[in-house]
Amino acid sequence: MLKVENVSKQFPGVRALRSVSLEVNPGRVHALVGENGAGKSTLVKIISGAQPPDSGRIIFNGQVFEEYSPSYASAYGISVVYQRQQLVPMLSVAENILLGAQPRRTRFLIDRSATYRIAGDLLNRLRVKVDLRKRVAELTPALQQEIAIAKALYRQAKLIILDEPTAALGPKQIERLFELIRDLCSHGISILYISHHLEEIFRLADRITILRDGRLVTTQSTSDLTQSAVVNLMAGHDPQRVAEPAAIPAGMAEANSEVPMEALVAEEALLEIRGLTAGPVLRNVSLSVPPGQVVGLTGILGSGTHDIAQVLFGLMQPVSGEVLLEGTPFTARSPQEAIAQGVFLVPENPARDGVVAQLSIAQNISLVDLPSITRFGLLQLREEAQTAQKYVSVLRIAAPSIMREVSKLSGGNQQKVLLAKALQARARVLILEEPTQGVDVNAKEEIHRIVRELAATGKAVLVISTDIRDLLLFTDRMIVLREGQIVDDLSAEEADYTQVLNLTLGVGESE
Amino acid sequence: MSPEKGGNNQLEAKNRPAQKEPHRTADRLRIDWTTYGTTVVLVVGIIITAIFQPVFLTVSNIANVLSQIAVLGILTMAQTIVLISGGIDLSVGSNVALSGVTAGLLFLHGVPLWVDCFAALGCATAIGLINGLLVAQNRAHPFIITLGMLTLLEGIAELVTGGSPVNDMGALATILGGTIFFGIPTAVVLLFIIVVLTALFLARTPLGRTAYAIGGNEEASYLSGIPIKRTKVYIYTLAGVISGIAALTLSGILNAAEANIGTGLELQSIAAAVIGGTPLIGGRGGAWRSLQGVLLLGVVSNSLNLMSVGANYQNIALGVIVLIAVMVQKNR
Repeated sequence: MLKVENVSKQFPGVRALRSVSLEVNPGRVHALVGENGAGKSTLVKIISGAQPPDSGRIIFNGQVFEEYSPSYASAYGISVVYQRQQLVPMLSVAENILLGAQPRRTRFLIDRSATYRIAGDLLNRLRVKVDLRKRVAELTPALQQEIAIAKALYRQAKLIILDEPTAALGPKQIERLFELIRDLCSHGISILYISHHLEEIFRLADRITILRDGRLVTTQSTSDLTQSAVVNLMAGHDPQRVAEPAAIPAGMAEANSEVPMEALVAEEALLEIRGLTAGPVLRNVSLSVPPGQVVGLTGILGSGTHDIAQVLFGLMQPVSGEVLLEGTPFTARSPQEAIAQGVFLVPENPARDGVVAQLSIAQNISLVDLPSITRFGLLQLREEAQTAQKYVSVLRIAAPSIMREVSKLSGGNQQKVLLAKALQARARVLILEEPTQGVDVNAKEEIHRIVRELAATGKAVLVISTDIRDLLLFTDRMIVLREGQIVDDLSAEEADYTQVLNLTLGVGESE
Repeated sequence: MSPEKGGNNQLEAKNRPAQKEPHRTADRLRIDWTTYGTTVVLVVGIIITAIFQPVFLTVSNIANVLSQIAVLGILTMAQTIVLISGGIDLSVGSNVALSGVTAGLLFLHGVPLWVDCFAALGCATAIGLINGLLVAQNRAHPFIITLGMLTLLEGIAELVTGGSPVNDMGALATILGGTIFFGIPTAVVLLFIIVVLTALFLARTPLGRTAYAIGGNEEASYLSGIPIKRTKVYIYTLAGVISGIAALTLSGILNAAEANIGTGLELQSIAAAVIGGTPLIGGRGGAWRSLQGVLLLGVVSNSLNLMSVGANYQNIALGVIVLIAVMVQKNR
């Protein structure tokens, strides 16, 4: 039904896809797996017409795609249901389902009663119980997703692409979604299912396609694969090799490596979290970071890593548990309070949440501590410039001048401006979220170097990232979270990519 | 505190040279026409008007133009500060009316003039404070909040005056409505002072800087530890204070106070700021830029007057200028 033939796609500096082929059969669930950056989302964008491939072609029901646009793909019956819903929150359920293709009374008047009748029929068929008149904004994420699927069906979708559909769902809602998916399949609709949750994939999918570094690794029937085999294929290891390191109990390995142990004993923890419960998932999490250590915190979306950062930066209040900074209790109700106590967060998307694009490099850096350059109520611009100049040269921020607007800098340099801010804030504990996401290889290396150097000055650095390979390159320890709990805490020397990936996905190691 | 404080020896010891010097002059020489567009239009406008209407460049006419724009200019400074912070204040005009009326009515009832002036400023400040609190505490857009305030204040002004104007402001008319030295109108000197202070506030004070920051990116500012709500309260309050000064100036110039005197001033102040180069989206702009917008409106209006163009045509011309200015800025 859907045939992807030798599709390649290149972005500046990255080869996102290299000659990938796959075939989805009618009425089947086809899973697409791969680590972050393996090329899954690029492939989805090409199939859904959001981006053209550089070479190769897409054939759908025997028809070769002639152009790549979302309306073209959707006219052929391909629909994507994204993690973030593409529904209009202020419109009703019925209006959303029929949006853009509503029945009309005349050329200009929409037929409201027909809109509600059609939407009602459709939802009945899907056995979705919801008030058609309700605004979508008032619905749970699970229902919103079902509405999005209904919308796809109204457009005669024959292939529905589900991108991490269970990320925001509870166990019951997941069962409900699976029922819906099986129902769709029995009506001949195909599903391309993208998820990190291998367990779900093994319950649902008939076949699995594995991508790694933009290449097709394999497509096989689910029955011929095991979860650990899939992880090994995603990671690019030989299946036989993996059993060995995993066989060593984590505690033993830690005892063997003496250097980190010494560091742990010698110094009191700079940051300590005890029994933290917060947000929807975090349950009784304890961890400690001594000064000078770079700790990686990893886990799949919804594992709670992000929530730890939120708590430490005053953006989320813990339900129970405590945080200690150099042995003294720490609470923050806002970033302002967190910064005052020596914690600084570099958010995941610097361009969106980190920098003020219209302000200059110097102005962005000083923003975090204006009082230090204020004398008699006036900002000392020369001091501000000197401070900024120092950071620009130390962190090697590539810019013609410190007066340069931050909007004109590359992602890597914006990231460095934020690191300069952290220094200017005199942070003792530094939290970085996805610090190397979307930056080029050189900038990555530089960020690694800067983070190491920052730690060497006695700061505690917590790096929150889903990019396990990247974390292994510059962290001392890796803490793995799954479903709001720490599943392992291992030294980076001992940690092996496959092992960590297994831990994040909850795939048994002893297989 | 010394600038070294934020750094650390480890990093400084490495001190690698940054690759920055080569581009510096090029960066400086590049002219951003969206910044100077208004200046060019203003200068060209003045030259053209001066050629066709030599009267334009006489001292008395220049003084006339400047005193005509003084109140709008002062008010535009209030608007500029709010716009830079990402907000908007539609109530500045009605604030001028109510504050002016407050002073006028008190004067009418024999309260000493200096008390009246402080009462007017107090009233204006209170209005700004209320605006700030409402904007900071509510998720509603400041446009709608200050629009409500506009209607409310106009209503109160109508109520307290009973619809009839106060036609005597006593010494205020000779002070703020008169000249100070060499025949320079006091209002013009006051405008100049307010513009200088606003420019200083925006460029050199922590609060001014945070106004740019939250106007540019509120989330990033919050994550930088800036108290967003408090900053907004301060900014709207400051806009209120400046509106109060505008109110006294207008009362002095007109020697009167009236409930509907500020009608339309809020939109003119927004237009002037935008024409000058302080966009509605926040994070950019400045006092001198906005002043250029005020001057441009004043010069155009004056030259059309000198050429005896009717009021309706004048409005059309002004509308066209606003549209052109906004379109030029959009192409930045």
